[in-house]
Amino acid sequence: MNFFIVLRKEITEQWRTKRLLIVAAVLVLFGLASPLLAKVTPDLLKSIPDMPPGLADLIPAPTLADAVGQYIKNMSQFGILLAVLMSMGVVTQEKERGTAAMMLTHPVSRLTFLLTKFAALGFTFAVSLAAAALGCWYYTLLLFEALPWGTFLALNGLMLIVFLVYVAVTLFCSALARTQGASAGLSFAGLVLVAGIGSVPRIGEYFPGQLFNWGGTLALGGEASNWPALWGSLGLIVISLTAAWLVFRHQET
Amino acid sequence: MDFSEIQQYIPFLIPVLIIQLALMIAALVDLIRREHTRGPKWVWALVIVLANYIGPIIYFVAGRKDE
Repeated sequence: MNFFIVLRKEITEQWRTKRLLIVAAVLVLFGLASPLLAKVTPDLLKSIPDMPPGLADLIPAPTLADAVGQYIKNMSQFGILLAVLMSMGVVTQEKERGTAAMMLTHPVSRLTFLLTKFAALGFTFAVSLAAAALGCWYYTLLLFEALPWGTFLALNGLMLIVFLVYVAVTLFCSALARTQGASAGLSFAGLVLVAGIGSVPRIGEYFPGQLFNWGGTLALGGEASNWPALWGSLGLIVISLTAAWLVFRHQET
Repeated sequence: MDFSEIQQYIPFLIPVLIIQLALMIAALVDLIRREHTRGPKWVWALVIVLANYIGPIIYFVAGRKDE
């Protein structure tokens, strides 16, 4: 069966299972709330009753960097969590329900089966992140000043790659596991492993976490590049999907 | 306590409230249409309505049972 026909079915499935709605709602919430929180937090702190005199003056005025920092912090936490939550059952669930076997009796290769799932999840995150980025950019314009859209786009592109790394790793865990419980356990172990190794000095430079720093510096007009992290992340995606295919290829569905 | 500074930002919350409402309605419609849920339906209805934002998401992730 044609790749694009299966992909269309998978994207419809993203809508039907409400994955698209959940990811869009959460990411857009943080897209809008991040600049707002950055703007309001100093005022909220100043409004605390009985604040010692002079302390309120020490609270710095919010800046554009605070808005971008807040956006990156929220997206790095909730985006990654969503990437794992939304991907962890996709293959295991179909194996348990028997729909995978049904799909694979049609002329759908196992590679197409896995790749269309990855592409459909990628579509969900790309659309949701685009909406969140638009919201963040507009609120930042209203509350602070205009962010240069080119570099802000680069930040969001790099964030999307980070999310896709976690989607790919989780898909591998989902292909490996027999039950949904095992898939959830493995997926969170994968999350801890990738994030853990990413925080080790030197080795971490090749891991996706670095892409947030790179994107943040770019969005604020700074000069930065971290190509090893980009190649490392793309490599992780390819390795995870290949491993998922190798595992899934010989499995009975 | 002086909230006058903060009050000016309240209109910025309107889109957030609209998204929250849409999420809640989508979750409630799904709950009504679904025959089986993990746990009693009325508990899920309370979770969806009372836990802002997170309630519908918890329902979508953990509350639904395959039809």
